[in-house]
Amino acid sequence: MRIVAFDDGKLGVVANDETVVDVTDLLQQFDPLGAADLLPDLITHFDELRPELDRKVAAGGGKPLAQVKLNSPLTRPAKIVCLMGNYREGTDRPLQILDLFFKSPEGIAGPGDTVVLPPHQADIFHHEAELAVVIGREAKDLADAEAMDAVFGYVVYNDISARGLGRTGINSFLGKSFDTFALFGPWIVTKDEIPDPQALHVTVDVNGERRQDYSTSDMERPVSELMTYISSVTTLHPGDVICCGTNHQGLGSVQDGDAMVTAVSGIGSFTVHIRDEHERAWQRGIDRAAGERVKAAAQHPVAQVSGRTG
Amino acid sequence: MRLVLTRDERIGVELDGGMIDVSAAFADIRYRTSADRMPRVMAVLHERRTDLERMAANGAPSAMPALQAPVPRPPKLIAAFGNYREGAERERQTQDMFLESPDSVIGSGDSVVLPNHPAPIFHHEAELALVIGQRAKDLPADERALAALAGYTCAIDVSARGLGRIGPSRIGKSFDTFTPLGPAIVTIDEIPDPQNLHVTLAVNGEPRQDYSTRDMEYSVVEILAYISSFMTLVPGDVIMCGTNHQGLGALQDGDQVTMMIEDVGTLSVAVRDPQRRAWPRGIDQDMADRQRAVGVS
Repeated sequence: MRIVAFDDGKLGVVANDETVVDVTDLLQQFDPLGAADLLPDLITHFDELRPELDRKVAAGGGKPLAQVKLNSPLTRPAKIVCLMGNYREGTDRPLQILDLFFKSPEGIAGPGDTVVLPPHQADIFHHEAELAVVIGREAKDLADAEAMDAVFGYVVYNDISARGLGRTGINSFLGKSFDTFALFGPWIVTKDEIPDPQALHVTVDVNGERRQDYSTSDMERPVSELMTYISSVTTLHPGDVICCGTNHQGLGSVQDGDAMVTAVSGIGSFTVHIRDEHERAWQRGIDRAAGERVKAAAQHPVAQVSGRTG
Repeated sequence: MRLVLTRDERIGVELDGGMIDVSAAFADIRYRTSADRMPRVMAVLHERRTDLERMAANGAPSAMPALQAPVPRPPKLIAAFGNYREGAERERQTQDMFLESPDSVIGSGDSVVLPNHPAPIFHHEAELALVIGQRAKDLPADERALAALAGYTCAIDVSARGLGRIGPSRIGKSFDTFTPLGPAIVTIDEIPDPQNLHVTLAVNGEPRQDYSTRDMEYSVVEILAYISSFMTLVPGDVIMCGTNHQGLGALQDGDQVTMMIEDVGTLSVAVRDPQRRAWPRGIDQDMADRQRAVGVS
């Protein structure tokens, strides 16, 4: 099943790849405080709602997809958990230590929206296409066997990243937390439709030019391991989202006037536009130097003093 | 005014060591959990000030009940990187911040539970915390920025060292129970100068941290201006202003931790470690020296 947010405050289900069936009314029974509660309520009560949702989809009706304004399917998650570099990227090395950071949930934007580059003097603004996992239930200290039970579904993510800000260079993550820098779309696909999250194809096209192009089979830590590790740190809630990291081979700049399409096979694709009041310009095309830097850094990771390795 | 949230979900004004229940002033606010409710309360705190003062003046304080964190799950929990000079003579470092899991928050009287991750040590970091009262973006770096605040409170940024991949990894600060917060939100009018507050932290009665917010590299208004140039701040967001690392020490099973900020409050928590690991007691002088050296270079 595909869950969409649309027309600025409604939640719906996509029927036959063509229409959007509005289920906002169905969710009023849970007494939402605002639009941000609709998705967590739907997820929390999904099993009991599913027969009614299936019936509504089967009954047809709804609005053609082309006639609604899609929004980020995640309206305002309580947590956006992001993995640091989690792909092998052609290197032949032992597993890196798992690490993560949190991104500002105020950064949410979605299909058709505009990424606004801030005036900050970043070295460059990169796209980072990722597979993201939407949490299905409250979860802490998940065991290996139940890790995937706590997944609700999957969504396409693009982690816009301003480089070179803050104090700690490549290890500063504040440049990822600007407003409009957390792109989710086009809808959430429930996990029953994605039999293997480690066999999905992720792409980014900027103005029609292919940039990132990789498979989630290259992930160092698969989704199930991310679930157990992250839940050993922090309690996860329905509607929280885990972004699985990107493959940096194929990164490039985003700049004023760009139209960018992010896609994951089995889920879908969505387009956003880039605006920069300062009309800064960077070299177009793939930033190969950035890709090489990440590979080299990964070959010589900072030695861990101690700690769990996953 | 000092606003508290009780474990049984009443909102109170602290007065003469007791509490006056002012929940009625917020009866119109719909909520499902305290996590939903307190950001909405923060958003109307200033405009309802007169009502609250009248209720406080006419009420008789009852004994202070058990409290929870005044914002049990903030929309965002933001932390400043090392933001104190700590006796080092140097140019100001570049400002930087990061986000922690909002699920790490606990209240005064709760317990920090050390997780079964093999950190070389778990440190306390006593910090002045800012609670946002208004949606804000691009605040100026002067007194006008303070209007975005609901008030101040105490925070302990409990830190598991040595986990994760990168040098100063932040993952070790986001464990559940690792951000004691409270006990009260103290409105900005009660703190004439946030850069002149005395912060102390003691473990089992032994003094550890003891510093003044005068030593901050970037002041409260500079912190607000910087972070709001990146992201929209929303009511209930909590910003921790960083710690002075001189005086950090280990937290371990059975410890009683008491943190105080003059005129802001006293925050007390216990520490529990199901693994019952042990570290040397007292101040971690190596850590203190290391931090000073990093700051200089």
